[in-house]
Amino acid sequence: MWLPVLGLLIGLLLGFMSDLRIPPEYTSYLSIAVLAALDTLFGGIRAQLQKTFDDRVFVSGFFFNILLAAGLAFLGVHLGVDLYLAAIFAFGVRLFNNIAVIRRLLLTKGSENQQAERN
Amino acid sequence: MKVRGKHAIYSLILLVTGFMIAFSYQYTKEERKQPTNDQWKREDQLRSSILSIQRENRNLQRELEAAQKKVSEMEEEIADKEKRSFNFVEEIKKLRKVVGQVAVEGQGISVSLEDSSYIPDTENPNDYIVHEEHIRMVIHELYVTGAEAVAINGQRISNTTHIDCVGPVVSVDGVKHPAPFVITAIGDPEVFSNSLNLTGNITDQLVNDGVQVRIQKETSIEIPPFIAKEG
Repeated sequence: MWLPVLGLLIGLLLGFMSDLRIPPEYTSYLSIAVLAALDTLFGGIRAQLQKTFDDRVFVSGFFFNILLAAGLAFLGVHLGVDLYLAAIFAFGVRLFNNIAVIRRLLLTKGSENQQAERN
Repeated sequence: MKVRGKHAIYSLILLVTGFMIAFSYQYTKEERKQPTNDQWKREDQLRSSILSIQRENRNLQRELEAAQKKVSEMEEEIADKEKRSFNFVEEIKKLRKVVGQVAVEGQGISVSLEDSSYIPDTENPNDYIVHEEHIRMVIHELYVTGAEAVAINGQRISNTTHIDCVGPVVSVDGVKHPAPFVITAIGDPEVFSNSLNLTGNITDQLVNDGVQVRIQKETSIEIPPFIAKEG
């Protein structure tokens, strides 16, 4: 259980330590990748709570979403259409959806626990 | 074993996520910090460009001043040249008058020389007619007293004119003139008549040689330009 938390901490540390420079025109790729990663993470958490979690779906979704988002942004840049906005919109909506579902699941779970305790 | 593998995968995914989030955060922070930096740099750049433009302007102004100075110098030179050429033109006009290339008009004098109407039978008639030397004498006297233009019977005399005796007539530049000869000259008529009438001077000598002389002051004489009559 501690291993993933350790990985998160190491990742954060690496991100803060690294002084990589990316050109300003690639910032949209970065933001979209972050969004995709968060979306997939929350999607995973929701699936876990709904007990439909499949680690293959989770892992493949994680990387595939990031790549797809980046590819969409790339295409948008080259077509002159701001396609990354579409990706941001889609991921944002899904993120909120996932968080809402997680919240509701947690609430119902909490109330069930309370009922169980009461019973 | 299976659980561990899952955990490894999750940790990898979380590592990537954490890395991206942290990186993005840091990047955004730097970017937010950059504008001021950029602004400062930009200000500096603009200031230096203004300075360089000002320097350029100063140089150009100096160039302009130099060019203006050059132009004024050239103008002065041209004016000087014009003055000089004006002087040249005046001189040329004067010289042309003397040489006889232009028509001249003005007050002057006309001297008419005529053969003597009375020739004694015992004398040589040659001594009683007008000779070319008489004409020459008159012309020389007129030139000496400041004649601007001289003509014989309306034919302009120039510096190359030759006056010859050809039997009973006088040839002026190849054009034969019979007596009487009217010599016109432009200049001050008073001076001409005074000098011609000096005791023992031209008039006396001519009269002595038996030539009838008539001197008349004219208010307006026109003398045509000299045209070479000989080929």
